[in-house]
Amino acid sequence: MSPNDSCETDSHDEEHSGVPFFPDHFVKEASVMALVVAGVLFLATLIPAPMGSPADALKTPAGIKPEWYFLSVYQILKYVPKTVGIIITFLIFPPILMLFPFFYKRITAWHYGRLVLHTIVALGVFFAIFLASLAYLGFE
Amino acid sequence: MRTPIDFLDERFDVRRATREFINHPVPDHVNWLYCFGGITFLCFLIQAVTGILLAFYYQPTMDAAYTSILHIMDDIPFGVLIRSLHAWTANIMIIMVVFHMLRVFFHGAYRPPRELNWLTGVILFFITITFGFSGYLLPMNQLSYWATKVGTEISGAIPFAGQYVQAFLLGGEKIGDATLTRFYTIHVVILPVTISALLVAHFLMVRKQGIADPL
Repeated sequence: MSPNDSCETDSHDEEHSGVPFFPDHFVKEASVMALVVAGVLFLATLIPAPMGSPADALKTPAGIKPEWYFLSVYQILKYVPKTVGIIITFLIFPPILMLFPFFYKRITAWHYGRLVLHTIVALGVFFAIFLASLAYLGFE
Repeated sequence: MRTPIDFLDERFDVRRATREFINHPVPDHVNWLYCFGGITFLCFLIQAVTGILLAFYYQPTMDAAYTSILHIMDDIPFGVLIRSLHAWTANIMIIMVVFHMLRVFFHGAYRPPRELNWLTGVILFFITITFGFSGYLLPMNQLSYWATKVGTEISGAIPFAGQYVQAFLLGGEKIGDATLTRFYTIHVVILPVTISALLVAHFLMVRKQGIADPL
């Protein structure tokens, strides 16, 4: 490889450009890690994990909600028939999420393919946050 | 004088390996958005350490689970801190996984030849979620019990496989000792072993393929 190629961002040239891992990148990485550790220590000290009352199979508590990361799915199941919602979230969504990069060439064969793909996901993220907010506020 | 480093170097060529690791160039386009994956791994390490400490005292039975955690909180030095760190980091880990996925997605870093690493990452995301679901039952408080009841009922409604998934999770007709030992086994044995293996694969693939070029 000639020295003239060194400013290319082609992945083959990655080995020859950029900052060294140590100390340049390591210092950044370490400072972020230190901040995260400080952050969780701060939260854990300030707001300790609650214990609640012991499990009672005979007393259904009011307003039971799943953890926040399940709220959007929980809300979808209120609007669509249970089986349909479960088929979408358990059987259709995961394989699409896992496998769509294998179809990248076909997606981008169309000029706007990637733009549409990224727009769908961006809208999906906002929709999920919206649904989770509805669930959090207790909308039926 | 020969040092222990010399000893290792003669056998494993450690100096060259270390030099390669230290000098390995990080591309110029890497910015602060690239830190979420690393933070997720840090969260995993915090969860491993605090989780092991909790496992020293936690008892996975219907009778003892709740009181064993009260014991951790009230009597064990730093018990409140360790349990609270575990609970907070669990939530932060999921946020960081999602941020990391969004970063990778919108940078198009999933595109060929990195499809397999995206696939591994999605499985890691689902494992992280399952960690959350299985860990939620363990304190055996009202929230754990009823959230798990709703969760296992939903899993029971999956077409065809549902009843088997539910039977596998519950280990009986309703939430009981069998459920708790199963969730505990999933949370502290099955998932940690699986996530460790997949993390190694995830990192080796990044190492081999390098960081993706920007779109």
